[in-house]
Amino acid sequence: MMLKSEFGSSSKKARPVASDDIAMSCRVRLARNLAGERFPDWATERDRERVFSKVREALSAEAPALRVSSVATFEEQERDVLCESHLISKDLLARAAGGGLAYAADGSVCVMINEEDHLRIQGFADGLDMRKAWQTADALDTRLERHLDYAWTPDLGYLTACPSNVGTGLRASAMLHLLGLRLLGEIEPVVRGLERMRLLVRGIGGEGSEAAGQIFQISNMDTLGVDEAAIVQRVMRICAEVVRQEHNARVRLIHESPLVLVDCLARSLSVLQNARLLATFEALEFLSAMRLGASLGLCARLKVQDVDKLILLMQPGHLQKGMGTAMTSDERDEMRAEFLSRKVANVKLKC
Amino acid sequence: MKCEMCHNAEAETAITKETAGDLQELYVCQACANKALRQKDSESVPPATGVPSLPLMGMIMDAAFEIVGRALNRAEPSCPVCGILRNEYRQRSRLGCPACYEAFSKELDSAIFDLHRASRHTGKAPEKAKAVWARKRLEAQLDEAVKAQRYEEAIALRDQLQKLDGPKDEKKGGPA
Repeated sequence: MMLKSEFGSSSKKARPVASDDIAMSCRVRLARNLAGERFPDWATERDRERVFSKVREALSAEAPALRVSSVATFEEQERDVLCESHLISKDLLARAAGGGLAYAADGSVCVMINEEDHLRIQGFADGLDMRKAWQTADALDTRLERHLDYAWTPDLGYLTACPSNVGTGLRASAMLHLLGLRLLGEIEPVVRGLERMRLLVRGIGGEGSEAAGQIFQISNMDTLGVDEAAIVQRVMRICAEVVRQEHNARVRLIHESPLVLVDCLARSLSVLQNARLLATFEALEFLSAMRLGASLGLCARLKVQDVDKLILLMQPGHLQKGMGTAMTSDERDEMRAEFLSRKVANVKLKC
Repeated sequence: MKCEMCHNAEAETAITKETAGDLQELYVCQACANKALRQKDSESVPPATGVPSLPLMGMIMDAAFEIVGRALNRAEPSCPVCGILRNEYRQRSRLGCPACYEAFSKELDSAIFDLHRASRHTGKAPEKAKAVWARKRLEAQLDEAVKAQRYEEAIALRDQLQKLDGPKDEKKGGPA
C-alpha cells in the first residue's frame, strides 16, 4: 500500500524541487466527538463499540469509498506498517476495543476512531500544500456531521477530550527536513523562534518524539479563537519561511563550508554501504544525509524520492513485511544493514 | 447519564456487579446502589451456616467501600453526566465527556485561556448543532421577555421559534 502520508510521492512535478525536498509532506487533523458519549479514555468497551458503530454507519453513508477496519482485526505487522505510515497512532493501538481506522485507497484522507477523541479526521498532501489537506479533511467532516451529532457549543466550538484541542480541533502540521540548518549549527535558534511564535516542534513520530534525521514536525499550538483558514494559512506561511531558511543554509553550506557537507555525506554513505548492523534511529541519521546529498545533486544514481522510500521501507514493520517474516530486534538490525547496503551499493558522491 | 439499572433516574455513583464470574462496573442512581448492596448482602448469607463466605464478604466490603468512598468524595466537584471527579481528570489530563466542560467550567475557563490565549470559538460550526443552539437561545429570550411582560417582543420570539418548526407544521396542517 503506497500512501501520500508516506514520505515522498510521485506528484511532485509542479513545485520547485528544492522547496518540496525540504517540506516532505503535510497534514491537517480535525478532532471531533459525539454529543452525550464519554471520551474514549473514560469510556467502557461497550461505549467505545457503540461509538465505533455510529461512526461506521455515518462513513458507509457519506464516504463509502473509505475502507473501515477495526484495530482488533489488524495483525501485529500490519499495525506497525500503518503506524510507520502515520495513518494510525500508538495511542489508537493501545485502545484496541472499539478502535478503528477508515482510510482512502489513494492515501489522501483517513479517520481514526476512538483514539484520544471519537474521531480524528486527517487530510494529507504533498509538500506544503496544507490548504489541500484542509479541504480534504473539511469536506469529509462536513459530510459526516449530517449523520453524527457532534459535541459543540457556540462558546468553545468542538469539545475535545483534552482542552488543548478545543475550539476548531484543528492541527495543521508539516514535516520539514532541516539538516542544512543543523550542520551550520543554526537549528536551535530556529526551533526557539518557532516556539515563541506558538508553534509546536516535534520529531518524526509526533508528540514526545525526537527529531531523528533532522526531520521536524511543525504544527499550530492554538486551536481556539482563530478560524480554520487562518490557522492553516499561518502555519503554511511560517513553514514556508523555515523552508526558505533551510534553502539558504544549504546554499551557504556549499559555498562556505563544503568540507563539512562532503564529510557528512561521505561518512553516511560509507556506513550505509558497509555496516553489518543498523538500528532504525541511526539508519535514519545516515539516510537523512543521503537525502540532503540527493537534493543538492551531489549523489549519482540517487533521487530524493528513492531515499524517502528507503526511510519508510527500513522501518521495523515495513522491513518485516518486505521480508515476509517476523524478526527479533537484532535480526532486524542485521536485515536493515543488508537491505540498505544493497540499495545504495551503486551510489557515488559527485564531490 | 441515566442509571444503568433502572434507566430512569440520573446515575450518581458507581458499583461493581458480578455477572457470570466477571466484575462489571455500573453507573447507577443511589436507590439502585442501595438495592444492589442489600441484594448482595442477602445473597452472601448461606442458609446453612448464616455466615458469609470470605470471598463474598470481601466483595460486599469492596462494593460498600466503593459506594461510601464515592459518596464521601461528593464534596469534590464531579461531572453530573459521566461522574468523574475533578482530581481524576486532573491526573489523566483528559476530560470524561463533553458535559465536563460545563461541570468544571470554573477552573477550565482559565486553563483554556492560558492554553490558547483566547476564550471564544471562531470558526466552523456544524449545522445541526447551530440549529439546536439557535433554538435554545430563542427559548431563553422568550422566557425572559414573558417574565418581564414584554409581550410584543415575546410574540415576535414565539413566531421565530415557530418558523424553525415551519416545514413540519405546514405538513401537519396541509391537505392529506
